[in-house]
Amino acid sequence: MGIKVMVVDDSPFSRMMIGEALAESGYEIVGEADSLHTLVETYNNCKPDVVTMDIAMPGADGFECSRELRRNDPKAKIILVSSMKDEESEAEAKRIGVSGYVQKPVDGENLIQVIKNVMSPDSLFEQLLERGLETFKEALAQNVIRMAKTPVTFVSVENGDAPYISQGITTVIGIIGQSTGSMIMDLSAETAEKITEAMLRRPSKNREEVLAMVAELANIIAGIACSMLNKKDKAFALRVSPPSLFHGNTAEIISPSVKIQRSLAETDFGSIFLGVGFKKGSKLWM
Amino acid sequence: MDVNFINPILAAFTEILPQIGFQKTEKKGISLVGSSFDYDGVLVNLAVVGAIKGVILIGMDLDSAKRFASKMMMGMEVAEFDDLAQSAVSEMGNMVCANACTQFSKVGIEGLDISPPTIMISQGGKATLPVPQTIVINFAVDDIDIKVYIGLIS
Repeated sequence: MGIKVMVVDDSPFSRMMIGEALAESGYEIVGEADSLHTLVETYNNCKPDVVTMDIAMPGADGFECSRELRRNDPKAKIILVSSMKDEESEAEAKRIGVSGYVQKPVDGENLIQVIKNVMSPDSLFEQLLERGLETFKEALAQNVIRMAKTPVTFVSVENGDAPYISQGITTVIGIIGQSTGSMIMDLSAETAEKITEAMLRRPSKNREEVLAMVAELANIIAGIACSMLNKKDKAFALRVSPPSLFHGNTAEIISPSVKIQRSLAETDFGSIFLGVGFKKGSKLWM
Repeated sequence: MDVNFINPILAAFTEILPQIGFQKTEKKGISLVGSSFDYDGVLVNLAVVGAIKGVILIGMDLDSAKRFASKMMMGMEVAEFDDLAQSAVSEMGNMVCANACTQFSKVGIEGLDISPPTIMISQGGKATLPVPQTIVINFAVDDIDIKVYIGLIS
């Protein structure tokens, strides 16, 4: 069965051009919309595999329409088709979660190649899912052994969907790149104090010192893990954000849009929870 | 504090919230705290990387979070802050922050990227951000109180 495509463009001529180019190659045009007005209803009725989306439309533009579609169906695969192709339009498209970008005037073969790429499994993303957690574990072990001089062993943790309950101090680091994601590191205040003492070779003076150590440790682990992954394939292009720290009373930690893979590192000072998850990024920019 | 960080966030809120079912977005006040602050309820953490970096957090108490999610879901009853409600509120955070990046690009700060949202839920929680000072903007969105914490540095 052919791939089902919905075409969103305010120009009937453009819709016809795109429709004919795709139909010739066996794609099935299952729906058309010319504005935000009929967009979601048409999408829900025709359930396309892929949507091609014009950017410049009167009223709501292609970015707003894409946001609306992704809000209606977070898995919607959208390919922007536009004469505009500058860095900021691409950055915005990526942030919205658009899957691909094709420049107008549309070259049929080019568009088909992008659709094929969008529909095929994302091998880079698959690699990240496969290697991501292992690489972060390696970075954690290396650095905790080196800095706190304690052996580290990992025990497997059930990767259920239940929220994770913090042991005391949680660090969240955002990861940006071809795929985006998060690293969550969590440990109890006692474990953090003991590790700080081992690193400083004296007891910590106050809580700030302990928090600063946790933030720095998480920062080093995330930075080194992402460098290791980038070395394996520079197309990952991963970069990390500075760490946010959450402490105080018990907290639930939830990551609604990313499946977090979990692991627990056992050390002489107590256990350190490590969670890493990635989200499939935008794919092809032609 | 860099006041230039405020307007793009304000613009993002006023542009996105009407698109997701809210009528009135009112800025109630702006204040400055250090790197740490207390929170009760829900905090959505989104990291920003690029020419400026750090985090934007959106906070509300649990009851407000349920009311907010309910409004986003066309008035559907939200008795518990469950998976669906969490997903709705985190999606709002995602949309506002993605739009804020677009607003930043209009003032010459281009190519910013954001991480997926992480939600913290706690009573008597504390947050410490990787910046010396945090800008706090209080909003009333259709009478639901929301706090936005901006922890960005250039």
